[in-house]
Amino acid sequence: MAQVVLKDVVKNYGPVYAVNRVSLTVEDGEFVALVGPSGCGKTTTLNLVAGLISMSGGAVTIGDRDVTNLDPKDRDIAMVFQNYALYPQKSVYKNLAFPLQMRKLPKEEIDKKVRDAAKTLDITHLLERKPRELSGGQQQRVALGRALVREPRVFLMDEPLSNLDAKLRVQMRSEIKRFHQDLGATIIYVTHDQLEAVTMSDKMAVMNGGFLQQYDSPANVFANPINMFVASFVGSPAMSLVPLTAVSKGTQVVLTSPEGWEMPLSDANGRKALSATSNKVVLGGRHSTIKVHKVQVPGAVPGKVYTVEPTGDVTFAQVFVSGATVNVSVPPGFALRPDEPVFLEFDQDRMHLFDGETEMALRL
Amino acid sequence: MSSITEYRSGGMGWRWAGRIFLVFLLGFTIMPMAWMLITSLKTGFAAMQYPPQWWPTEPTLDNYWRLLDPSGSVGQDFLRYFWNSMWVSVVTTVLAVAVAVPAAYAFSRFRFPGRTFLFFAVLLRNMFPAVVFLVPLFILMRVLGLVNTHGSLILTYLTFGLPLAIWLLKGFYDNIPIQLEQAARIDGATRFQAFFLIVMPLSTPGIIATSIYSFIGAWNEYIYAYTFLTRHDQMTLPVGIQRFFSENATDWPGLMAATFLMSIPVVVLFLVLQRYFVRALTEGAVKH
Repeated sequence: MAQVVLKDVVKNYGPVYAVNRVSLTVEDGEFVALVGPSGCGKTTTLNLVAGLISMSGGAVTIGDRDVTNLDPKDRDIAMVFQNYALYPQKSVYKNLAFPLQMRKLPKEEIDKKVRDAAKTLDITHLLERKPRELSGGQQQRVALGRALVREPRVFLMDEPLSNLDAKLRVQMRSEIKRFHQDLGATIIYVTHDQLEAVTMSDKMAVMNGGFLQQYDSPANVFANPINMFVASFVGSPAMSLVPLTAVSKGTQVVLTSPEGWEMPLSDANGRKALSATSNKVVLGGRHSTIKVHKVQVPGAVPGKVYTVEPTGDVTFAQVFVSGATVNVSVPPGFALRPDEPVFLEFDQDRMHLFDGETEMALRL
Repeated sequence: MSSITEYRSGGMGWRWAGRIFLVFLLGFTIMPMAWMLITSLKTGFAAMQYPPQWWPTEPTLDNYWRLLDPSGSVGQDFLRYFWNSMWVSVVTTVLAVAVAVPAAYAFSRFRFPGRTFLFFAVLLRNMFPAVVFLVPLFILMRVLGLVNTHGSLILTYLTFGLPLAIWLLKGFYDNIPIQLEQAARIDGATRFQAFFLIVMPLSTPGIIATSIYSFIGAWNEYIYAYTFLTRHDQMTLPVGIQRFFSENATDWPGLMAATFLMSIPVVVLFLVLQRYFVRALTEGAVKH
């Protein structure tokens, strides 16, 4: 296993930049998720690490080797594809043996390694079958087997679970996590599903528009999103964002809405709000940090219920606040009706404030 | 399964109408071939009788023996034409496939300047009728000193066969997921190995279909062979069998026997290779 370093990696097709000056370090044995909406450059980044496409600029190092100009076969990596890419004309055994044959290992050693990998993944009984005779989950296992049989320095995974049904996806999610723990493997994992990234990875790299937005542990990304994009992308339901205006009133700073209501800020939040480039400030809050009241309480802002979604142990609701949609949650016993007026109290210690111009988080 | 078929064909009435139509179509296709075969078994006299004999009273294989007897003059010529046709068709096919496989792969996988233009330029040749090129190609062959050689035919057939072969094969390569090659390259294969070990075997049905196509094209071609070749010992079958017309009267049984023998290679090709046409291409390779 090895460390992977991306330094100012660029991939452009003419004027279109698919990946723009991305730098990040994946430590030895770390599980890193590249996450973002489709077209954000995450798969391109993975392909650049794999060497499947050529870089327009920057460098990639795996272990102590600069692999920037090496062929995929010389990078000592393994990859699991979204569509598995099993060789259809070869049996499962031959699929697993192929990477070893390409490296000209002796026959007995190939046989041993193939059988070991098959045993690890519990696919020994499938070795003589052709890929088309397998279920989706079995194909997925074979694809994993073909990756791990060679003991590469880095595993690259491109949305390996997106083709599975929901139940199998959850099961394979924990299996891949287990696989990472047992092997101490360095894994770079591409997904568009932030939940997968949050639950599986040691660190997540959130990408958008070819740029790396934030690279940190899931807990930190969740708690301290660096900008409005990350805030609204990570977490389910998403963080709600309400554009407001910051105004100083004597010693206090308040957020005002076009409708005329005011929300006083704590001292710390007041100083954050004043550090914005203009008076435009966006208030952010996760559902778990917003209290719903049926009557006005000091500091709460008025809103109107839009939808109510009971899920069993918690009821989610969407509330219109000053033209924005705010996701809140209430206990199942708390009756909410659509179009009902409510008052939302944002937790001053856990609310987020963003610069309305730069969309960056305001910090002290 | 059967209920689905019934549902789709809209009930029993339509099903029977469909069957009758198919039988009619089958008869329409088979009749000429059957008549060819029957006539080839007749004597010259029986072939001219009116009303015609639906089955010869004295079926004979003499016409075939005559064509296949290397000691007779007819047999000598026929076998020479047969050999010429085989040689020209096989060389054309091998060259067409050898060039079309890498060309189609490149059109399918690589993005290069002028790719679309080149791809359509390749097809342009097939948008004109063959006769348009007859005189220019003849002049070209004369300049190159290729008139009365099989080389002139092979080159000419490639100008038709190659574009279609490239077009056909590109479709096959387009259908093979690029991830298979990427997986192979990561698994330790060079780009070339990935193509030869993974992609090529998957395109076997396409290569075979393409081969048959260019073989038949070359095997049946008449007008260029008629124009470029004047020497008897160079002629291919479609031109050569004209000699059955040339004597005082047409030798129908001989002509039909020759035609039947001429169609055998094509039929055998189809029978042997048909399973490749129906084989599912990349089924199970990827999940869609």
